[in-house]
Amino acid sequence: MSATLAKGINSFKDVIDAPIASFFSSCVHCGLCAEACLFYTETGDAKYTPIHKLEPLRRVWQQEYTLLGKLGKALGLSKPITDEELAEWEPLVYDSCTMCGRCAMVCPVGNDLTYMIRKMREGMSASGHAPADLVGATTRAVNLGSPMGIKWPAVLAQIKHVQDETGIEVPVEKSGVDYLVLMSSMEIINFPEYLSALSRIFKQAGVSWTLAQDAFEATNSGIQIGASDLAREIVSRIVIAAERLKVKCVISPECGHAFTALRWEGPNLMGKAYTFDVKHILEVLDELRSAGKLKTNGKDKRPLTYHDPCQIARRGGVIEQPRHILGDIAADFREMPDAGKMNWCCGGGGGVSANSRAEPLRLEVFKHKKGQIEATGVKTLVTACANCRIVMEESLEHYHMKVEVIGLTELLAEYLVEDKAL
Amino acid sequence: MKQANQQDSQLGTVGEGLEQRGVTRRDFLKFCTAITAMLALPPSMVEVMAAAISKAKRQSVIWLSFQECTGCTESITRSHSPTLENLIFDLISLDYHHTLQAASAEAAELSRTQSMKENEGKYLLIVDGSIPMGNPGYSTIAGMSNYDMLVETAKGAAAIVAVGTCATYGGIPKADPNPTGAVSVGDIIKDKPIINVPGCPPIPVVMTGVLAHFLTFGNIPELDNLGRPKSFYGETIHDRCYRRPFYDQGKFAQTFDDEAARKGWCLFKLGCKGPVTYNACATTKWNDGTSFPIQSGHGCIGCSEPNFWDAGPLYQALSMPASATTAMLGGAAAGAVITWHNRSIKSAAKAAHSKVTVQELTREEK
Repeated sequence: MSATLAKGINSFKDVIDAPIASFFSSCVHCGLCAEACLFYTETGDAKYTPIHKLEPLRRVWQQEYTLLGKLGKALGLSKPITDEELAEWEPLVYDSCTMCGRCAMVCPVGNDLTYMIRKMREGMSASGHAPADLVGATTRAVNLGSPMGIKWPAVLAQIKHVQDETGIEVPVEKSGVDYLVLMSSMEIINFPEYLSALSRIFKQAGVSWTLAQDAFEATNSGIQIGASDLAREIVSRIVIAAERLKVKCVISPECGHAFTALRWEGPNLMGKAYTFDVKHILEVLDELRSAGKLKTNGKDKRPLTYHDPCQIARRGGVIEQPRHILGDIAADFREMPDAGKMNWCCGGGGGVSANSRAEPLRLEVFKHKKGQIEATGVKTLVTACANCRIVMEESLEHYHMKVEVIGLTELLAEYLVEDKAL
Repeated sequence: MKQANQQDSQLGTVGEGLEQRGVTRRDFLKFCTAITAMLALPPSMVEVMAAAISKAKRQSVIWLSFQECTGCTESITRSHSPTLENLIFDLISLDYHHTLQAASAEAAELSRTQSMKENEGKYLLIVDGSIPMGNPGYSTIAGMSNYDMLVETAKGAAAIVAVGTCATYGGIPKADPNPTGAVSVGDIIKDKPIINVPGCPPIPVVMTGVLAHFLTFGNIPELDNLGRPKSFYGETIHDRCYRRPFYDQGKFAQTFDDEAARKGWCLFKLGCKGPVTYNACATTKWNDGTSFPIQSGHGCIGCSEPNFWDAGPLYQALSMPASATTAMLGGAAAGAVITWHNRSIKSAAKAAHSKVTVQELTREEK
């Protein structure tokens, strides 16, 4: 079995639904989406205009689903989609789109371009035009359980480390608890602070939670590469574990697309409603805070700014919660321009950071964020997505900027009032 | 406000009122000159108009608002204050106006009936909004249906000014399928002179111009076959459009973002309705003469023409058939066939979809 052009085109036909047809037919070619796109504003290259990235999909829509297009196709007036064309578009669809959704916010006719890119990637991957690195990551996610090839023993090692450090037991495979906690590979390998911070916070808040052996990984490469069949398989592991452990809520970790995959795409991929809630960790922390279960002491004196991860803020609606938390623990919080739902992407979302071919472009477009960070004058950048974090750490390093990037959960844990008697 | 107006109307003329407000003779003459020019009257009429307006008694005006969005009122009251137009507007006696009057409930209705009694046969009636002929409950004022209030108030009016496309032609409320059975003022009132001032909203200065004409000559300006003052609606937007030379040279913008659009070429192919729209936008412009839609890069939508909302897509060029019944029927039939065909394409694609495995993410030959 192999990817073929025919499969790809069939997939394009399959994914074009009423929203996509109406989006294409209502586009007025105003070009506002270009100005909203990091890849256009930082390079000035018109090929990065978001709607242009969808051109092959638009042609399929026109040729297959519109009267004039069908006539043109029958009369041989419009050229069919070719492999060469898809190969040309591959970097546009995968390397220069982080699915950040900023273009969809400014579209005067309300076209959700992110949704269209997500659907277009279905045909790109089915025709063998997905970046090799994403294919690798997806293969590892499906075959090994995690895009970075991490298996349960690695998580166990981290659990042991966290238990030694905090003296708090990390619950595993506990049934009937309130929360199932997930992590992203990045947190397991690069940011073990997350699990440690969470253990301490949940102990103080008296929250019952667990990790699951067969569902510790929150990320979903199937979403990034655009293969719903694989995305379904990956998300189903979490759904099965959550149902088996009868948890009330699954917590999506500090990871952007994992939240999108689990919270918004998951039920549609599974074809049924969840029996549990899905919340982002910041939502859970803010709820605990409002309920008075989370006490902090003191404030961070360093000037801080907060980078909104696109999938959590713009696509996920979690905007106020981090600001509530930072209001408690930051003495000098400085907002970047366009913060919140119109934030600028770190440049590495939507699979771009997993795609080594895209690295030079990603570093180029980071200049926008770089400028924003410099304008605030902070040396400490807080965020709530491990992917944004690693992308920004690498980019800051590249530009020789001495700015530290930290996760909000671990920052909160630093100011947690801990009752040792508990 | 009403009390003050009554006192003014008893105490003095418009000229005295202007003087009290610090409007100089020079400013006043400038205003009269502008209005005279706009009404296409000979220059000798400036003096006549100045004399007539300054001596005129404050004109009693009753303003009724029916099925409307208040855009007309917004347009007129917020014109570009403070200008002479506004002052003139202040110096009529606006005895009843939902949005602007201070009085409410019974006191408000009382001011209408009182003014009707005191100025019988002399007051000017301004109407904005269409009148629902379906269920009267779609729009009532003080428990009274729009139809009843219009008929009652029109009876003693000297003339009626229908303001905005809703009052003049039914406007957006009348757009297909016209759920409220909306009709225009002219559809109901047949025995009074009616001046139609269409536009969505109409240009403020057109309104003040019509009022000035009425104050000067005591009659209504010359109207065209659709009841519009010829001086403002005599020519199309296209006739007076500054982009007209591009049209004549065949230079058209093809999309809103092409080089031609940036150069300011004609927007005809992007659906501009300027050639069939009679209005003064291209000459008087909006917001203190700042700009008008075509100048800011968008075609005219023809908002001052009857049934503009149902006259075909806004972005379709005029030369294409827009609303022919046969085309519509043919389109509906073709649409049904296409829908059926499209569905079969999509379901075939769905059926042809084989579950993607990780092996299938790459080509074998790769």
